[in-house]
Amino acid sequence: MLVSFQYRPRKSVIERFDPRARWIASFALLFSIVLFWDVRLLAVFFVIAMAQVFLARITWKETHRAWILLIILSTIMIVVNTIITGSGTIAGVVGSGKPVFHFEIKIPLVGWEIRYALTRERLWFALAQYLRVFSIGALFLVIPFTMDPRIYGVTFRGIGLPDKLAFTMDLAFRFIPTLARDYQVTVDAQRARGFELEKTEGGLFAQIRRVAPLIVPVTMNSILAGEDIANAMDLRCFGLKKRTWVEALKYQWPDYLLIGAGGLILIICLILRFGLNFGNFWFPT
Amino acid sequence: MMKKSLWAFGTREVVFSAIGAALYAVLSYGTNMLQIAGSGNVSFRPAVAIPMFFGLAFGPIVGFLTGAIGNTLSDFLSGYGFYGWWGLGNGLMGLVPGLIHQTITNFRGAADIIKSEVMVVVGAFVGMAVASLSELWVSGVDFATTVTINFMPAFISNIVNGLILVPILMVAYSAIVARSGR
Repeated sequence: MLVSFQYRPRKSVIERFDPRARWIASFALLFSIVLFWDVRLLAVFFVIAMAQVFLARITWKETHRAWILLIILSTIMIVVNTIITGSGTIAGVVGSGKPVFHFEIKIPLVGWEIRYALTRERLWFALAQYLRVFSIGALFLVIPFTMDPRIYGVTFRGIGLPDKLAFTMDLAFRFIPTLARDYQVTVDAQRARGFELEKTEGGLFAQIRRVAPLIVPVTMNSILAGEDIANAMDLRCFGLKKRTWVEALKYQWPDYLLIGAGGLILIICLILRFGLNFGNFWFPT
Repeated sequence: MMKKSLWAFGTREVVFSAIGAALYAVLSYGTNMLQIAGSGNVSFRPAVAIPMFFGLAFGPIVGFLTGAIGNTLSDFLSGYGFYGWWGLGNGLMGLVPGLIHQTITNFRGAADIIKSEVMVVVGAFVGMAVASLSELWVSGVDFATTVTINFMPAFISNIVNGLILVPILMVAYSAIVARSGR
């Protein structure tokens, strides 16, 4: 099994920013997006998020799985909740509305009547939901493709996470190639003994049990290795002093600009939402 | 000898959190051939047993970080982006079983295994409930929709995987505990 991160240098505008500035700005935008149900405002956020995707120079071939997943997930939720049942948030903001399509069915024998009306309000609300989900999805989709996995540790330390927590993330990224190799060696060894991972006989429970000969050796070997690593780190007095990092991050003026823009957007959105009560569900009449 | 705090975060916890997270990511990636039909983004991941087991074996913080960082790494490996609320849910799925870490005396004893299985179910419930409920806030769907589409498929698949694989991992780990004397 070849396990590799999706990152490769793309010489894109996005990669020129400090990763800390990107995380901070992304979270500021996330909290801004979820304040609104107004299609006009959500369209602005959608454009910003999609602009980031284009500026990141990532291709459809690389990201199509993620987009398809997002489309399937959001469509199931929106069709069930907004188009069919019309309950939840939509019930609170829309109420009844002008039907664009409706039908009535009377079920024979029991005499039940089913009435359904698809209103213009529901369709606009569905659009608002799509814009919200896709803006948030696009905002964070670019991260694995445009952020070097080697600098996640120092990035999160720079954002304010404790040393040990940041080092845990850094270490986890570094363990992945080793553990992926161990997993592949285990799969090969078990296959050489007649193990069939893809065998579908025996139902779901048997399939899960069949995974045990792969998971157990890899897990136990890594725990044994972990004991040695922890001892080695203790011998080197890990955690006694503030940690230094091999990679150093330094803010440049565009990073301050990005953080400032993110912060400003969030402040404006908070004022709009809670100060001026703007941003509730809106559609053109 | 002084008893170690349940919430201690020393060198051992750092190393096992990192190993657990990397394992969760690699095994999720390597065993994602089982899919639940018609359940949005929920795949059948036998690897969910890893944060549960790491919580039981090394404590709640290790369980939490294994689930939270591991889920994020797994999404990064697959190129799905970053879904912090599902990371939080996966973290809780490891944290809750970890709450009984200090009460486990025999990893192959029937009483400890039954106790662990109960916590696996509670952990999967809490973790997936928190992650699914975030959809009320993000997508604006109603409670019934998120329970049907997000919570139920994830919760059921995770408890099935956890209930089958966690005892197997516990019995295997008891041999290591006996060997290392820890």
